[in-house]
Amino acid sequence: MPTFNDFISTLKTDLLDFAKENLDEYKDELLKDGTLFIEKVKSDLERWTEGLASGALSQADFEFLLKGKKDLAQMEALKQLGLSKIRITKITNGIIDVVVSSAFKTFL
Amino acid sequence: MITKAKLLPLLSALTLSLTIWSCASISVFSPEAYKQAVDLKVESLNLMSFATMPFADYEEEVFYLTTELDKAFEFSKGRPDNEISTEQWEILINEQGNLLGGFLKRWETEGSLSEMFVTEMQILVSDAFDTIIGLESGKIDPSEFK
Repeated sequence: MPTFNDFISTLKTDLLDFAKENLDEYKDELLKDGTLFIEKVKSDLERWTEGLASGALSQADFEFLLKGKKDLAQMEALKQLGLSKIRITKITNGIIDVVVSSAFKTFL
Repeated sequence: MITKAKLLPLLSALTLSLTIWSCASISVFSPEAYKQAVDLKVESLNLMSFATMPFADYEEEVFYLTTELDKAFEFSKGRPDNEISTEQWEILINEQGNLLGGFLKRWETEGSLSEMFVTEMQILVSDAFDTIIGLESGKIDPSEFK
């Protein structure tokens, strides 16, 4: 007859596998999004500075664009916050599945 | 010793508490909100391309677009647990801000805008809409909870 300790041991292993798989995927997504955003900021600034120098953009245009980029960064941060919450929900649902399947694997 | 009879209520309680905790955080996916954001992105970028011309010639179109944007904001605000998406809409359409709302206000104030400024603002506004669309499409479909 399996004991409660057997269940905990199975659960620990299953949860570790689950966490590793999900956290690695999340880390990769965050790094990709962050790197893309930084690259875009850099190329935008280069174009805007050139536009300012050539007279294609006024000082007011340039300032408006910079502030717009700041607003966009806020919206991007909100998106990441929302996606983190969604991931927590998905992970929680995954944990429920892991706990239930570990228990049934051990006891039934 | 854990028996089957003891195990099932324990698992049910755990499942219920985790489900309640996880569902309390953010709204589920709404196809209507997604479509609204995609449609408004296309309409906004299209209208912005005329901002090198006199505002007076496009006043009606701008009024129509701002009304549609306000509707999208109100729709977002009315959905439960949807504060994050609503805050995104608020930043996008804010007349005092520096994205779509601020752009339309500046067009009205200045009469017309320079070509490069319009093009660069279209890129920013397009990316801004994508943050709203990206968050909405990442939300969990209600059918996944069944």
